[in-house]
Amino acid sequence: MKLDVSFIWTAFVELLDAIPVTLAITAVSVLCGFLIGTAVALARQFRVPVLSQAGAAYVTFIRGTPMITHLLLIYFGMPMLLDAAAEALGFGFRSASIPMIVFAFLSFSITAGAYASEVVRSGLLAVDRGQLEAAYSIGMTGPQALLRIVLPQAFAASLPNISNMLIGMLHGSSLAFTVSVVEINAKAQIVATTNWKFFEAYLAAALIYWGLTIGIERLSALAEKRFKAYSRGGVS
Amino acid sequence: MIALSGIKKSFGKNEVLSGIDLKVNRGEVVAILGPSGSGKTTLLRCINYLEKPDSGVISIGDFKLNCRQHGKKDVHALRQKSAMVFQQYNLFRHKTALENVMEGLVVVRKVSKAEARERSIALLEKVGLGAKLNAYPSELSGGQQQRVGIARALALNPEVILFDEPTSALDPELVGEVLSVIRQIAEEGITMIIVTHEMGFAQEVANHVVFMDGGVIVEEGEPKQLFRYPKEERTQQFLKRITPEAGYSI
Ligand SMILES: Nc1ncnc2c1ncn2[C@@H]1O[C@H](COP(=O)(O)OP(=O)(O)OP(=O)(O)O)[C@@H](O)[C@H]1O
Ligand SMILES: [Mg+2]
Repeated sequence: MKLDVSFIWTAFVELLDAIPVTLAITAVSVLCGFLIGTAVALARQFRVPVLSQAGAAYVTFIRGTPMITHLLLIYFGMPMLLDAAAEALGFGFRSASIPMIVFAFLSFSITAGAYASEVVRSGLLAVDRGQLEAAYSIGMTGPQALLRIVLPQAFAASLPNISNMLIGMLHGSSLAFTVSVVEINAKAQIVATTNWKFFEAYLAAALIYWGLTIGIERLSALAEKRFKAYSRGGVS
Repeated sequence: MIALSGIKKSFGKNEVLSGIDLKVNRGEVVAILGPSGSGKTTLLRCINYLEKPDSGVISIGDFKLNCRQHGKKDVHALRQKSAMVFQQYNLFRHKTALENVMEGLVVVRKVSKAEARERSIALLEKVGLGAKLNAYPSELSGGQQQRVGIARALALNPEVILFDEPTSALDPELVGEVLSVIRQIAEEGITMIIVTHEMGFAQEVANHVVFMDGGVIVEEGEPKQLFRYPKEERTQQFLKRITPEAGYSI
């Protein structure tokens, strides 16, 4: 067998169609992940009873199990749960009507939430306690101090970790192919099997992932410049 | 007027404040002196409720708070009555000098942005930083940061401004610029409580001096009286130890 260079291009073009799906999974899971993660990190940081213990358990379980396991558990577990609930409540709802991508959104958000909580926590730790005290001293309420003073600084401090996580979730989104969501990796498999040219198709997929990753790196460099303008931190 | 009565505070088994009573009249400048660990910082932090006293009553102006029974709203109300100038400045690092001063006006006092901006610029000019409005704290010297800190406190027009060793983190050549700003606002009749090791400054600016040791007020009085003729032995010892080192004199 010989490398078909022109087919790499053909596959590349076909794969472009699947980019929005991959980006949607990445964006949704990272965004929801950060909402969950911020809530968990705050609950743990401020030692909210019950919530902080529940948060800790969530983080250790999710980080202690592979992302694909979360996906499979959600994929097989959720429909059972929903159908049982619908039946008990007398709704005409059937889990079969849920689009596959919803399982990916849900499960990857749960995965991302656990990792994001650690990202947010390290960001919170990077903010000096004096910042919170200064906010209180000028009469801010707790939520005001958090939203206006602490979280923006924690966010700026976490930017490198956030970009890391975005890249991780971008690559991880390829697991969605196991529940038949046609994202870049699944599309590459389809293109490969219909033409019997695996290497070329996966090479095209690799180039696309790489390109997207470089895009994320660029964006995060821009964001660091924008949000960390105030700091002369680091050793440079 | 500010009145503290029976303020007690322990950290674990360590009783740091053992019942502090203090009255400060409107427009008065009170200097608090005392050896390290005597509870000066803790007392200031209690007035601003950054530290919760175990018991006692704090009243500032027409607002009174019993430390044993109060809600979150009361704490919030109490904090609005005072402003703090920190030893480590604690400027908001992600905000410019101007934004630091505006923040409390806009967010807490709900002043319009345009008005807050105007007032903040005037205050920064007053502390000699008219040219540094858009500088971030990391771009300012310690003395400049502390002057922004003072402007931030002044902006809120509080009943009292609390200073915790405002110059002790500064290089000696920067101390003067901060002290002269404090002297200037003292002359405007703003009520202040200043914890300081600058004896000369305390003697010059304060109307009332309080000497603390071991969590109690050992002696208080007029500066001249207390510095020249301290009654208590502990005060005498403290002053003897500290006076030769005081680099500042009037
Ligand atoms: N958050 C805290 N937890 C435990 N102990 C504390 C805490 N803050 C202060 N202390 C203790 O309280 C005592 C008084 O501290 P404080 O900072 O009020 O002293 P100070 O008079 O301001 O001293 P200095 O002149 O060194 O600033 C010290 O023994 C200190 O160790
Ligand atoms: Mg102190």
